[in-house]
Order: sequence, then structure tokens, then C-alpha cells
Amino acid sequence: MTILFAVTTGLMFGLGVFQMLRRDLVKAAMGFYIVFTAVNLFMLSAGVFDGEVPAYTDQASKGQPSDPVVQSLILTAVVIGFGTYALLLSMINAAANRFNSVDSHEVDQLKG
Amino acid sequence: MTGISNSLLLGPIIVPLMGAALCLLLSQHNRTQRVVALIAGVIACLCSIGVLLANVQGDENTVQIYAVGGYAVPFGVVLVGDMMASLFAVMGTSVVAFGLLYCLDCRDHSLTYPVFMPAFLSAGAGLSGSFYTGDIFTFFVFLELMVMSSVVMVAVSDNRLGLEAAIKYIFISGIGSVLLLLGIAAIYATFGTLTLAHIAQELASGERPLLALPAAVMFMSAFLIKSAVVPFHFWQPDFHTTAPTPVSGLLSSVVVKVGIYGIIRTNTLLFTQEAPFIQNILIVLGVIGIFFGGLSALRTWNVKRMLAYSTLGQVGFILVAIGWGTPIALLAAIIYIVNHAYIKAGMLMLTGALASRIPGHSADLNRLEGAGRGLTLFSILFLIGGLALAGVPPFNGFISKLALIRGGVDTESWLIVGFVIAGGVLTLIYMTRTWQWIFQRPPRLDTNENDEDHQLGPDSLLAPALLLVLCVALGIFAAPLIEVAETTVTQLRQPAVYTCAVLPANLLSATPANTCPPPPLSLAIAP
Repeated sequence: MTILFAVTTGLMFGLGVFQMLRRDLVKAAMGFYIVFTAVNLFMLSAGVFDGEVPAYTDQASKGQPSDPVVQSLILTAVVIGFGTYALLLSMINAAANRFNSVDSHEVDQLKG
Repeated sequence: MTGISNSLLLGPIIVPLMGAALCLLLSQHNRTQRVVALIAGVIACLCSIGVLLANVQGDENTVQIYAVGGYAVPFGVVLVGDMMASLFAVMGTSVVAFGLLYCLDCRDHSLTYPVFMPAFLSAGAGLSGSFYTGDIFTFFVFLELMVMSSVVMVAVSDNRLGLEAAIKYIFISGIGSVLLLLGIAAIYATFGTLTLAHIAQELASGERPLLALPAAVMFMSAFLIKSAVVPFHFWQPDFHTTAPTPVSGLLSSVVVKVGIYGIIRTNTLLFTQEAPFIQNILIVLGVIGIFFGGLSALRTWNVKRMLAYSTLGQVGFILVAIGWGTPIALLAAIIYIVNHAYIKAGMLMLTGALASRIPGHSADLNRLEGAGRGLTLFSILFLIGGLALAGVPPFNGFISKLALIRGGVDTESWLIVGFVIAGGVLTLIYMTRTWQWIFQRPPRLDTNENDEDHQLGPDSLLAPALLLVLCVALGIFAAPLIEVAETTVTQLRQPAVYTCAVLPANLLSATPANTCPPPPLSLAIAP
């Protein structure tokens, strides 16, 4: 399970960073969200103990309950990541109207 | 748990958030919105001053805490008002209040956008929240609240390129947030706790499990990105230049200080054993920042952009002071952080008020040439701000530069003291050059009085004037700030004060390095 988590997190990081470096701003935004998801996965794997049954249920006698703290952290991080992603996409939409392009080389007029 | 419980700590966080909610309900009444926002900002500022006063009146081990929701400390979120957090929160909330005062009479179109004032207030809540929180994940949440609110405000800026700057910033800042989250996850996997005091307690034992040092690296990278230190600075001038005036005053003065607050906490509370190594890096980055910021400010032709580059240089000075790490140098860093916040906010708002007086509301130096002739009050205020930024007596910038150079002489690093003085001279050159260009040149003749924006009238001068008067006052009556900063440094040098105040007795290990100071006197009297 640890290996699976490690490989998936690594792959998603690689994919996300690759996407983020693309010229198309929409693709870059997707990469941004993939990286955020990779971090969430990393946090899930960072629980201090491996759970066998859900936390705060009546199944606690059947085995080790899972770590509820990482789950609540991920829930918060998912909301923040989603909010950032939505804000980013709406800004890219506005930029597409204003600059008639979503190419990061053309949305680049600030100099000095 | 020897900290004094004080529910006033909630004020600077919850009052702006409530104000933001109220402003959203009033989104049809822009004028009322601005007044409500100002009232909320002032109440938040008064609350944070109350917290600071309670700290000042106690002895040097006084730390105020508030367990949110009544949960016991390692399980719930705790707000901690030690001297540094209280001082920084007063700095943050007061600049927010001055920014809202400027908003009251600002004619920018972006301020009529319905969510502008709520975003300003939630940025203020995020700011004081990230200073007060004693929980590293809550720090991340407040930091993101602040980043997102400021992105919204810059994206709707009157400057059409604000959108571009906001997109750049949200990507870069997002990478910083990802690093911070990775660090938090690594810390949680290692120690199973998120409370700063508990992490500090575990780290003080000297053991370094596998993920502890990567967490330090990730925290430092995230904080350096958030405070725009030179190799990570490239978003900052764009973002601060295109922001609406009150927002750029907020961003360039206090928002960058959140990252610096994180750096100081990492160095003095969490990774105290690795601090000498980190500090060497900070000195190098600081010196590069001083010259990069100063020289870039010299060659740019936009006053707002010049001030944004100047922030790069000033953050460099602060990093050098943190890098020396001796008590005198830390004292200099704290004084520098507070003084620079007021000078920079005042200067940016003054520039905005001046730009609102010329057609097109541009801060471009070519268009501002001679624009200030005959505006005596502007001229005096600009000169005060410029000289204070460069560190000329009797303004507050002089006190911070003097403390910084004393810190350098104390550590006998003469070369870097030389760099610091040269950086100060650079500041003096670009500030006086700009002053001369605006106020001493003959005015340009091609001003177009029929410009639509120009008919709206100029912005009020009240907020920048008050801020710059505060700069003079802090220069002449510097003793209270220095005393507060001295207590701050005393607390920073004894991480046990913070740890003991927050953690319950059963979690405190009894190692000699961790002995708690005697409980403060006021607690003994209380029933």
C-alpha cells in the first residue's frame, strides 16, 4: 500500500508540474490542480497510524480506527485547492476576453 | 499551561470576518459598505492593541492564549498572543485600518465592485489570523485566505494588466502553498501533532527523524516565496504595481511580513539547532536582495513599481538582520519590520493619491513629471517618506537602520555592514531623484483636462498623511517600540516561554533545556 501511494503521488507530481509548465494557461491551471491533489494524497499517506476501520464508528472493536486528523486536513485542503482552482479558471476566462488569448506568451505585457 | 486566557485574541480575526459578511449583504450600497468596513477595521485594530497592552503590562514571560472552541491544547486550535505575534498583529490591523480609511475617499472604479470591501476585510482577518495562530495548519488556512482575497482585489484593479499579475501571483503563490502543505504533512507524519508549541517541544529533544529536515526546507522555501525574497521575487513588482492603491499599500507593507514572521518562527521556535545554517543563507539572500531591489528601483520609471522594488531591498535588510541572529540584530529586525510597514504603506498611498490627481491615474514618472509643483503638503509628505525609507534622522527609518548597523558592528561582519550602508545610500538616491522629478520640475503641458476619470476628483490625503505623521512620531518617540521589541527578543531567545505557556503540564518534558520560567505574577493573584 505504501509503495502504491508513493508511486501514485510521484506520478501525479510529475504530471502536474509538466502540465503547469505548458504555455496554455488552461492546461497550466489543470496542472496546478493535479499538484494540489498529489499533495492531498501525500497527506493521506502521512497519517500517524494505518487504519483498518473508519474512525468514530461502532466498529472500533474490530480493529485499529483510521487517523481522523489527516482526513479533516485533506477535507480543508481540498476546499482551499478547489476554491483557488475556481478563482484561477475564472481569471483565465476574463483574461481570454481581455487579451483574446490564453497563451501565456501573449498574456505577458507587464514590463519594467 | 501557564498562558493567560484572553478572548480578546479572537477580535482581530472575527470582527473583520463579520464585517465582511455584513458588507456582502450591503453590496448594493457601496458607500455604506465602505463605512461598515472602516468601523470593522478600527474595532479589529483596537482589539489587537488591547492584546498588546495586556502583554506590555505583564512581565516578560506573559503569553496570552485562547483555546478556540474550548478544546484542550494539542487537540484543538489555539491562538497564541506572545509579544511578537501581538506586535505584528497591531502592525497588520493598523495598516488595514488605514487602508480602509483611504478606501473611504478613493475614486477608483474597482472599489465599487461589490466584493471588493469584503475581500479587503477578509485579507485583514487572514493577516491577523496568521500572526495569532498557534497551529501550523490554521496558519496555512489563514495564509490562503489572505492570498485569495488579495488576488481578487488585484484582478478587478483599474489597471487592465492587474488580471495578468493576479494570474502570475496565484500560480507562484500556489507553489508556495503546495510546499507549505508538504512540510505540514511531513511534520504531522513525524510527530503526529500540528500545534507549534508541541512540534517545538519534540524538536527541542535534538532528535531528527527522517522527514523533519525536509519539512524545514519546505517551510523556508514557502516563506521565502510568500515574502518575495530575491530568487523567488519575480511576481512581486507586477502584483504590487497593478494593485489598486489601498491594496498595494497593504500588500507591500504587511502581507510580505507574514512570510518573514514564518521565517523568524522557524528559526527561533522550531528549528533552533539548524538556525545557524539557515541564517547563513538568509544573509546571502538578503545582501543580494538589497542590491537587486535598490538597483531595479533606480532604473524603473513608475513610482509604484519603484516602491515595490524598494520593498525587495528592504526585505533584504530585514533578512540580513535575522541572519546575524544576535539579540541586537533580532531587535533591529523587529523594529525594521514595524517601521518599514508604516513608511511603505504611507508612501504607496501618497503615490496613489498623487496619481489620482493627474489624467489617467498613472504613476508613470514621465506623466508625473512636474505634477506636484505647487502641492506643498504633498511635497513635504513625500520628502518625509523618502527620507524615512532611506534612514535619515529624525524619522523612524533612522532608528531601524541604526539598530541594524549596531547589530552588524556587534557581530563584527564589517563587509555586510558596508553593503547595508551602500544599500541605504541607494535608497536615498532613488527617493530624492523621484521627489525632484515630481515636485521640482516644470509641469508638462499636454495634460488633458477632459479625461473622464479626472472628473471624479482626487483621492483624500488623510490616510497617507496620518501614516507619515506616525512615521515621524515613531522616529521622535522611539522608546516604547524599542522596549516592546526588547521584550520580543527576550521571548524569542527562550522558546520554552512559548512552549510552557501553550502546552499542558503533562506534555512538557522535564529536560533541563526545557525548564519553564516561573508562572507570571498575575496568574498567582487570580482566583
